[in-house]
Amino acid sequence: MESAPVIDVVNLSKAFGPKVVLSNVNLQVNEGESLVVMGGSGTGKTVLLRNIMGLLTPDAGHVAVDGKIIQQLGREELFETRKKIGMCFQMAALFDSMSVEENVGFALTRHTSMTPGEILNRVDECLEMVGLKGSNKLRPSELSGGMKRRVGFARAIALKPKILLFDEPTTGLDPVMTDVIGRIILGLKLELGVTSITVTHDLKSAFEIADRIALIFRGECIACETPEAFRVNPHPVVQQFLRGDADGPFLQDPPPPRREPRETSRSTFDPLQSV
Amino acid sequence: MLNSLLEKIGIQVLGFLDKAGDFAVVSGRAVAAIPRRPFDGRNLMRQFLAVGVNSIPVILLTSLAVSMVFAVQLVYGFKQFQAEGLAAQVNGLAIIRELAPVISGLMMAGRVGSAMAAELGTMQVTEQIDALECLATDPIQYLFVPRLLASAITLPLLVCLSIYVGYWGGHFLLVAVEGQSSVIYANDFYKLLTIRDLYIAMTKAFVFGVIIALVGCWRGYRTFGGAEGVGNAPTSSVVTSSLWILIADFFLTKILLV
Repeated sequence: MESAPVIDVVNLSKAFGPKVVLSNVNLQVNEGESLVVMGGSGTGKTVLLRNIMGLLTPDAGHVAVDGKIIQQLGREELFETRKKIGMCFQMAALFDSMSVEENVGFALTRHTSMTPGEILNRVDECLEMVGLKGSNKLRPSELSGGMKRRVGFARAIALKPKILLFDEPTTGLDPVMTDVIGRIILGLKLELGVTSITVTHDLKSAFEIADRIALIFRGECIACETPEAFRVNPHPVVQQFLRGDADGPFLQDPPPPRREPRETSRSTFDPLQSV
Repeated sequence: MLNSLLEKIGIQVLGFLDKAGDFAVVSGRAVAAIPRRPFDGRNLMRQFLAVGVNSIPVILLTSLAVSMVFAVQLVYGFKQFQAEGLAAQVNGLAIIRELAPVISGLMMAGRVGSAMAAELGTMQVTEQIDALECLATDPIQYLFVPRLLASAITLPLLVCLSIYVGYWGGHFLLVAVEGQSSVIYANDFYKLLTIRDLYIAMTKAFVFGVIIALVGCWRGYRTFGGAEGVGNAPTSSVVTSSLWILIADFFLTKILLV
């Protein structure tokens, strides 16, 4: 008999004013599974994560985590459930008045009876997992974008959560750092065996870390399948997304016309000759 | 035409009631969170430093300036009736009952309330408050409670300082400049006062402290719209809390003086 999903998104709909962001989305994530959610900008991927965390209330449908419907929980029960979930924000959302160490150890200080020494050990352990050993005393303002994300990961895993949610962890990073982040997520998945949902645009890391890939298009989940099946999915939107092509049904407004690259006029100034 | 006007008025009224209701709910949650664990002593001490200790120079200077200016006005006014001797008595009465609590309250609304609104506003637009929620921490408990306690406890202490400085401001003007007797000034300053006046001043300071912290934190907590929102939050916080300080001052005076 198949066990109940750890995260169960049922008929989830959410609109902001007249703009419908999510419409009747159904997703199930089983224990230890890694689901990657993809989709164009503004299609409601982050809204999905925020509904799972209980930061937003759905207009219709519900989200259940470990069998508990998030929207029906009281504040205390909600906080108890959130202790089982680690959320990694798109821009890291580090507490800028605290050091890296204080950020990572924040939840441990508040929710456990660990001694300062034990907290420090756990902080070091988490920072090592994300490749930032020894950066305890740095402030968020002293970190690069990629480092901030990684500190965000370390903060999210500090309480040893069952579930990890990654909100566009590689957006705005260079390709090398994108690969580093992808490897860290894969490493966390393999080492910790957590259930995870990763929202990303990066196809390379998506195919590396996903057990299943879902594609959200105009608020609806149009595909949710293994990477192999996703790659050969005949849906024109899926194929256009995989090709990264502007032409097709993906965009609501027609894209600008394609133009052949112009032959650049040769400059009379040749920097090599002038040396 | 009339319908559209009524509709606009209705939207404004509903918007105001919505905000007032939200403020009441958030304030209630903040007060209810005071005894809840975990108790964050370090955070509270940091707020005592920011709200209390760091405000001492501002309170010192404004109290000195206001008490001296008020003494000048009193001497000038009473001179017209050859009653300069009353200046010290009225100075004492005015400083303890009104000037010290109200001036301190308004200065703190500008210095501390705006800082709270800006800090929480920045945290809101940079998702730090959402991060607190995700780390199973109630932002109202973590952010509001230390600021509320620090403001409500330190404002009465700062008002005591303000009264003390006000005494010496009046002393300098009336004794050193106007040549009145130091002994007579010391007696006259407290002549019209009873212990109830100090109690009124402390009550006012406590209420003003609560207003400053709740309004400042609430404005920051409800910030939206990026940099512009963060820019508006402190301004709105100062205007709102100053207004409420003046309104509360009137009602507290009416109620407590009966």
